[in-house]
Amino acid sequence: MAKQQSSETYNLPLKSHPAPQARGVFGLSASTRFDAQTCVLIIVSVITGYLVLPPLYSVLQTSLFTTKLTGELDEFTLRYYQELFRELQVLGPFLNTVYFSIGSALFATIIGGVVAWVVTRTDTPLRGLGYFTAFASFGTPFILYTIGWLLLLGKAGPVNYWLRTLLNQSGPVLNVYSLWGMVLVESFLWSPFVFLMLAASFRSMDPSLEEASAACGARLWQTLRRVSLRLMLPAFFSVILLIFIRSFESFEIPALVGLPGDIRVLTTSIYLDAQRMPPTYGRAGAFSVLLMLVVAATLYLYFRVTREGDKFHTVTGKGYRPTVIQLGGWRYVTGALLLLYSFVLLVLPFLIVLWASLLPFYMQPSLEAFSLFTLKNFITAIHFPKITDSIKNSVLLGLGSASVVMLLTTFASWILVRTKLRGRWLLDLLTTLPLLFPGIVMGLAIMRFYLIVPIPIYGTLWILLVAFITRYIPYGIRYTHSGLLQLHRELEEAAYTSGASWSNAMRRITLPLLTPSFLGGWVFVFLLSAKELSMSILLAGPQTPVVSVAIFELWENGQVGELAAFGVIWTVILVSVAIIYYLIARRYGIQQH
Amino acid sequence: MSLLLAATLSAVLLTQISWAATVEEVAVLKSSDRQKILVEGAKKEGKFSFYTTLIVDQVVRPLKEAFEKEYPFVQVEFFRGNSDRIVQRLLSEYQAKRYAADVIDGTTTTTLVRRAGYAQKFFSPHLAEYPAELKDAQGFWGVANLYFHTLGYNTKMVKPNEVPKSYEDLLNPRWKGQLFWSTGRGGGGPLFIGNVFLSMGESAGKAYVQKLKGQNIAKTTASARQVLDLVIAGEYPIALQIFNHHAYISKTAGAPSEWQPIEPVAATISTIGLTKYAPHPHAAMLFLDFVLSKRGQRVYQASNYLPAHPEVSALQADLKPGGGRFKKVNYINPDDQFEKGNEWLEYFQSQFLK
Repeated sequence: MAKQQSSETYNLPLKSHPAPQARGVFGLSASTRFDAQTCVLIIVSVITGYLVLPPLYSVLQTSLFTTKLTGELDEFTLRYYQELFRELQVLGPFLNTVYFSIGSALFATIIGGVVAWVVTRTDTPLRGLGYFTAFASFGTPFILYTIGWLLLLGKAGPVNYWLRTLLNQSGPVLNVYSLWGMVLVESFLWSPFVFLMLAASFRSMDPSLEEASAACGARLWQTLRRVSLRLMLPAFFSVILLIFIRSFESFEIPALVGLPGDIRVLTTSIYLDAQRMPPTYGRAGAFSVLLMLVVAATLYLYFRVTREGDKFHTVTGKGYRPTVIQLGGWRYVTGALLLLYSFVLLVLPFLIVLWASLLPFYMQPSLEAFSLFTLKNFITAIHFPKITDSIKNSVLLGLGSASVVMLLTTFASWILVRTKLRGRWLLDLLTTLPLLFPGIVMGLAIMRFYLIVPIPIYGTLWILLVAFITRYIPYGIRYTHSGLLQLHRELEEAAYTSGASWSNAMRRITLPLLTPSFLGGWVFVFLLSAKELSMSILLAGPQTPVVSVAIFELWENGQVGELAAFGVIWTVILVSVAIIYYLIARRYGIQQH
Repeated sequence: MSLLLAATLSAVLLTQISWAATVEEVAVLKSSDRQKILVEGAKKEGKFSFYTTLIVDQVVRPLKEAFEKEYPFVQVEFFRGNSDRIVQRLLSEYQAKRYAADVIDGTTTTTLVRRAGYAQKFFSPHLAEYPAELKDAQGFWGVANLYFHTLGYNTKMVKPNEVPKSYEDLLNPRWKGQLFWSTGRGGGGPLFIGNVFLSMGESAGKAYVQKLKGQNIAKTTASARQVLDLVIAGEYPIALQIFNHHAYISKTAGAPSEWQPIEPVAATISTIGLTKYAPHPHAAMLFLDFVLSKRGQRVYQASNYLPAHPEVSALQADLKPGGGRFKKVNYINPDDQFEKGNEWLEYFQSQFLK
């Protein structure tokens, strides 16, 4: 795709262009451009609408009707909303949710942002470590990661042990089962995501403004604060927004970390409430609708901030590739910071997982435990039924959903950022909507839809693919959208002025320039799909096993050790994917210069 | 010629009739040639599907192998999920009139499906071998295996003479802040309270729970297995309502893990039953017979599950009542869980959750 690159592309001689010059510079080509735009808008909207609207309809419907035991809708009711607001009236859970989400969003963005800046914009040694850490940490099964942290920071864990010895206290010093514990673990979990998103943006930033600032005598810190940070505002904002939403609706951390410490958030309140029989889907529906409102409010804020897109273009035709900032002696400090990040985020949890995988049962790290080391867990994990099938399926699904999502969202973003078409707000809405569904709600909605409509994908891999694509559209679009916001319109306009057709400009200018964001998003969606559980567990049929469900099976009745062994194997596979991506990206980077 | 025609016609009619046998007819068949009819029908069906809560690696695969060895002309296809997921899937399929599931199992699945009107009564000669509490009076379910909910503790943190052996022992101030349970419906706190109510009666039970409240029991949404793992890791010394066979399996792996019954022990039962529009009723009935027979029960036994059949012991015999460590049991059948479960859950939540 990106064969011809760099400045050569911008001075593209007209002769290589298929459009005959006789067509004129503006007249015809402008109108075909318009037609192409409308076509793309319609196609992308129809596809997205087809994916997104059925689950939305289903959610609204279930939130407004009681469900009979047979699963049929019964009577219209507002009861679920009233129940939800009764829950809200007990302001505690709601405030906890807000604190938890804001805390996690900010903390994760700070960690991920600093690391992304260090890795992409400075001459710090060991920069590759940043990417490696981010990808590898995606490989650890989510639940294992959380348990790993709890065991590290828990009452009987090594951290408390060391602190106790250090401070000469008898009881546990830190209580991880608290609000700060929840924020800490949630931030750690999301910081690789922040890193990947921001690194893509930082890498394609126009350095001229920073250079100008430096030329005016500003110091590094001043430039950072007054110029760089402000340029990155849209990217920061969309990251904070995403993590806020994810934390708002997250369940695992609040359940495993918060509940033992009596910190209840909305999701855990609803979970505790929904344990009655028969299960009430209505509450989940009403909760999703509430979530939609919160997200809509956040989005409104987001658009207010980023409306004047021109302020934020960081890639223009002026030749770019951000300069690397020479940190001098400070680079050892940032290098050490990077090492610390890798250690805390990757090495520590991985070691705990590895440790657990080698033991017949979990023990806190000690010399005594070494004598118990065994490979039994690995043998059990390898002999797990259909293991090769599930790996194959998960990889296929990852490849498929990542590719479709990124293609779809590239076009969608282009329409949102570049055109002034009337209907684009609709597309914007459609591509954001999937964010609002808890995975399990969406899984159920998609299942019901395809059971009823005569499209025979129920029980096949296709239904999983459809589900993954739908779910990850918003993630793809955060990448391509902030990537495109930074590409100045003038690059494409130069192409049009030179007589390029829309498709040509897209193919030769926009897409190649967008490659870092595209690839970043692709890998991210791939990794998310590879470990998706809440929808897979309902949609994966007897003939279509996937890895995450296999891991869950091991977890449900097996011991920590077997799950850990599988985790180690799966991490190795995903790390290989990460390394391949890294090599490709580096090759691409070389071509750039 | 006409004779031949008549013969063919009647043959066709006969097969038509045998094919037209409804799921119900197959399910409640009691005639002496029952086995023959089931086998003939199953040969034509060639397969059936089993929606199961059992762990695939541990017991579904061995069951499939053993059954297919006995009836090589039938393939077992399975979908694995927890009770909720199985019910969700089945109900959605039935609403769309896609009848895929033949046999379902789980602690609450059969009750939910039956109340939705999608379960089918069945007869199996082996049901007679089970006591009344381990089969449905109306014939909607049998029981494949049992779960016993007991105390689990870390043997490094709790000395043998200290282990609480009665409800009274749990109130010892020594255990304040040291007990741990799950908030989940099918086990943990709610089931503990339900069992206390069943054992002591509701008013005495509530009085006891009030005293227990003072012990500041730690809680989690984690599963019983995870609760035990955290006890083994030393986060808490004692867990209430874990599965006794989990503690045993960990103990044999060398973990500092042991279980202690407080009688009567709460037992949940994994029921198994037939769906209303089962597409392969003959094969499904053969499978139900197999699972409930001693031979099928031994497959559960070999997998370290606790077989329901009174004459098939557990691999480690003392995990089942009468094996030497406990006798009295409250079998909590799915209908009780359905009807009283919400009360227990609500009382638990009102008393132990902020």
